[in-house]
Amino acid sequence: MNGAAPLTGAAIAVGTDLPPYSIAAVDPESMKLWAAFLRDPNPIHLDPRAVQAKGLGDKVINQGPANLAYIITMLQRALPGSILVSLEVRYAASVFGGDAVEAGGKITEVAREASGLRIGCEVWLRANDRDPAITGQAVLGLP
Amino acid sequence: MTAAELPPAPSVAGTSLAGAAPYVITAEENRTLCASLGSVAAADGTAHPIYFFIATQVGMGRSVAGLCALCDFDVEEGPMIASSTVTFNRTLMTGQPYWVTGEIKSLVRKRSRSLGVMDVLEYALRLSLPDGGMVLETVNVWVLPRRSLA
Repeated sequence: MNGAAPLTGAAIAVGTDLPPYSIAAVDPESMKLWAAFLRDPNPIHLDPRAVQAKGLGDKVINQGPANLAYIITMLQRALPGSILVSLEVRYAASVFGGDAVEAGGKITEVAREASGLRIGCEVWLRANDRDPAITGQAVLGLP
Repeated sequence: MTAAELPPAPSVAGTSLAGAAPYVITAEENRTLCASLGSVAAADGTAHPIYFFIATQVGMGRSVAGLCALCDFDVEEGPMIASSTVTFNRTLMTGQPYWVTGEIKSLVRKRSRSLGVMDVLEYALRLSLPDGGMVLETVNVWVLPRRSLA
């Protein structure tokens, strides 16, 4: 739930699930904004007819970086004040207009360093309970 | 046609992807982007970290179609992003000019069971401050399906 409390203190431990971040329905209008952000006018993000013509379904396809941004937003909410150090992701499947998506993850490593905590996480994004659209690992620093 | 009989992928490794002008994350666009994610932009000028992808991709001065064209691939054939990695040295800020440098690392022709013949494009992009200070480095991998060779 997006209202879940962020992780602090002793809750930042190996094995702890990151509070998930959900979008009830990916808005096709948002894809038009992302097409402008990315300067990418590919019609599969803008026109369902273009998606149909390519045999990829009948709904517009969300931009991969937008899907990744849901994961990063989840990390920011789960660990307030943290700084993203590195990220490694694989784009495994498409997210379509109207899909419900949920970004989540799990803490896999916590190390105390001079500058604070170094937190490793598995991360993922699922759409409509299908197999993950994105999987990967993130490392964050928490001063 | 076996994998060994396929014509080679275009020789593009080492091609520069340096931008011709700095990229600036505007506060207004950052606000709009954060709102599109159901979030609120930071008040201290910190930009959403997804700008690692946007700033490098836009700032290199080549569109996705242009990058595909370098690889002798028509963007209408449907390139697919496969993976991204990024390592940050500094936090991204709005209003800050960033320069993009980078290069194509490889373009490798393969045959896959699901996609048939495809080229796997890997390229690295770096974002730097005007004084040369490194901000981040990212590596993206795209799959370019070569249906005409299937």
